[in-house]
Amino acid sequence: MLVSRTGEFAHVGVSLHPERSYAVVVHGAAVLPVEPARADLDGTIASAVRTAIGEFPDGPFAVTVDLAPMLLDAITRADSALPRVAVIRVVPRPATDPALARSPAALVERRVARRFTVAGGHDLLGNELCPLDHGRLDEVCAELDAGSIRHVAIVAAGSQARPGHERGVADAIQTAMPGARISAASEYGGHGLVAREATVVLDCALSGVAEQLVDRCERVLSRLPGEFQLRVARGDGGYTTASRIRTMPVVAFGATDALEVCGAAYLEGLADCRVLLSRDGAQVAGEVRHGLAQVSLAESAGIGTELVVPTAVLTPERDVTPSGVPGRMPDVPVVRARHAPELLACVGAAVSSPTSWLDEVAFIESADELRSVRRDAEERATAFVTANGAAPGTAFFAEVSTVAVPYSPAGTVRIRVRVAGTPDIGLTQPLLETP
Amino acid sequence: MSGAATWISAADVPALYEGAKFYAPAVGDAGRSSLTSWLTGLLEREGPVALHRVETMAPETPCVSLCVLGSGSALADLPPAGDEFVAAIRQIEQLQGVRFGAVYPLAAATVSALVPVAAAAQLGVPLLDADGMGRAFALIHHTAMYLAGISPTPLVAFGPTGDSVLVDARTGARADRLLRASLDTLGGWAALASYPTTAGALRRGALPGTISRIANVGRVLLQQTDPDLLISRLAAITGCRRLGRGRISELEQLSRPSDGSIPAHPSSVVIDETDGQRRQLRIELRSEIVAVFANGELIAGAPDLLCLVDATRGTLATLDNLERGDLVDVLVTPGDAVWYSDEGMAMVGLSFHGIPLDHPRRLRGEP
Repeated sequence: MLVSRTGEFAHVGVSLHPERSYAVVVHGAAVLPVEPARADLDGTIASAVRTAIGEFPDGPFAVTVDLAPMLLDAITRADSALPRVAVIRVVPRPATDPALARSPAALVERRVARRFTVAGGHDLLGNELCPLDHGRLDEVCAELDAGSIRHVAIVAAGSQARPGHERGVADAIQTAMPGARISAASEYGGHGLVAREATVVLDCALSGVAEQLVDRCERVLSRLPGEFQLRVARGDGGYTTASRIRTMPVVAFGATDALEVCGAAYLEGLADCRVLLSRDGAQVAGEVRHGLAQVSLAESAGIGTELVVPTAVLTPERDVTPSGVPGRMPDVPVVRARHAPELLACVGAAVSSPTSWLDEVAFIESADELRSVRRDAEERATAFVTANGAAPGTAFFAEVSTVAVPYSPAGTVRIRVRVAGTPDIGLTQPLLETP
Repeated sequence: MSGAATWISAADVPALYEGAKFYAPAVGDAGRSSLTSWLTGLLEREGPVALHRVETMAPETPCVSLCVLGSGSALADLPPAGDEFVAAIRQIEQLQGVRFGAVYPLAAATVSALVPVAAAAQLGVPLLDADGMGRAFALIHHTAMYLAGISPTPLVAFGPTGDSVLVDARTGARADRLLRASLDTLGGWAALASYPTTAGALRRGALPGTISRIANVGRVLLQQTDPDLLISRLAAITGCRRLGRGRISELEQLSRPSDGSIPAHPSSVVIDETDGQRRQLRIELRSEIVAVFANGELIAGAPDLLCLVDATRGTLATLDNLERGDLVDVLVTPGDAVWYSDEGMAMVGLSFHGIPLDHPRRLRGEP
């Protein structure tokens, strides 16, 4: 059984909330809550790092920050100053019904100032369905250039398999408006036009906020003695680099649930368990396997639509046995969280591992081809986890699943790969066997 | 839905969606929010859709079935523009010189159960509380109507690209093959209008009450409760029972010889029971679950409706989202009686899926 360990070094976990921030220092089994004099971002991080230095002076240190509550607040706040976004859909035909032309999520649609459809797109396997309409694209560029919107989200049907049309649109927009902030859905991969579009709309809208938060964290750390690596928690409960979040802020969206689940499991010393948490007076449950939160692409953080970044799924847990423990999973221990959710999130952030996730559709005609496609996906996911901060050679596959895509031509498979690794901050200790 | 004269309103959409998933648990929720918001908006704008039992319609009423042909994943990645289903119907109307007075689902399962509701709202016609499969089968002629001698053609498949295909064929099997040859070019999925017939013919050919059934099942599924309680509630209205509970230990592809005329290649899921007899369950898939073996012995198979419930969440586990380690309940629900007839078994039974074994029901001496 593998589980991420903090090893010989102190790890700081920080959870940033609009009203105040929280932090803990974790060193092996020791968990030190931080009580800052000033509970804002700057004060909390500074206090946590000083605590780490004071208690564990040998260093090095890593600081993992959960930005998710700040990002959700930025989206949901009525007076949010987030930029409005222009959306360009590349599909063979425009929607004829208004509900199909917009996002089903009001929170996403609130960020959209203009919508355009440009004819084009591919199918799931990358076959062109319609040539890109360059004439219409020129008109869209001219309209955008004449207006004030400078954030543009682009989603093309099938771009996860063949991004050519999406890149063509992005290049044209960049040429027409050199200062534009462009998000293209193919950067995230995943499935479902609506989910992919919602992801890039939020990506565009949150880019400024995410950059400001990351900059601020880095400024605080730069003023403190010593060297620190700043990491940002991902929606799946792992972490990635600060630079990655600057370009793909939605990756940090919805991280808190997974961090709380992992934090509760870590405090109990368990790598495989079911975790019961309290949410608004009700009980919800999440699952931990191999020290990682079980995640999926379900509707994220109550925003009203799916995204293409995986997050922990917490489900209502109403029925318990007379002993007060759910009886539905007899083969894994059940952990009832005994600490405040903010502390759990901080612990989860501190002990998190670099992770990556890949979700693709491929076509295979033989077992050999299946092996080759899977190996290719595994290699790319491994490269991603290294880019996200894993030490080379430490990646392990938390999940590799290949399923036939129902009602598709025989040979169409969906491949999902989830990889975790050991932090690359000079730590020599690999992922360890649990006791 | 309420009262003797039944209506489907926007408030019924979540239950319809969940219930439809129970009867075809193959496809996940990647397109759920856009489809349900489209249908909800239509029903709010156009008003509720009347749901009629077939026998309450005048026998001469022209009726046509609708479904989504092809992959739910393709539909999620290229959602409908919104006019595909009406456009497919209009082409058949033009060809036959009729005006359809009602629509019905080819399969009251998966998104194919929702699109006839949308089309009924757009056209201002009633929806029939009946369908051709009582679940989802992979081929368009695997219907109770076809067994009753009703032709699926002429049929029209209208794709999200705006292109369409009109098929007239001598047999259902040839119609299906002609159609599937066009499906990739149409965009991976298409709005299919087929089985143009009359309400009188459907009285003897269609499976009654299947829309009401999925709404009832959906209401139970929406309660999000403990899996054991969920299954007992489902059993009360569907007759389902649990075959076993266990963790998925393996997902295998290309696990049986493949026949290119059927969508999706054969694959298998291996489940290790976590309680009871600790058997190893082997589940054979071909778009849907077609057979379940326990320690090598066949214990359920097509035309039984077989599905998985995520035992950690109390929700349906769709077949395109399975992972090793998932804890699932395996459920079996009897199919509609027509599928256990000799003709039904020959059409959609185990032998059609390349499993030359007698159905457990036959071995038990049941009809």
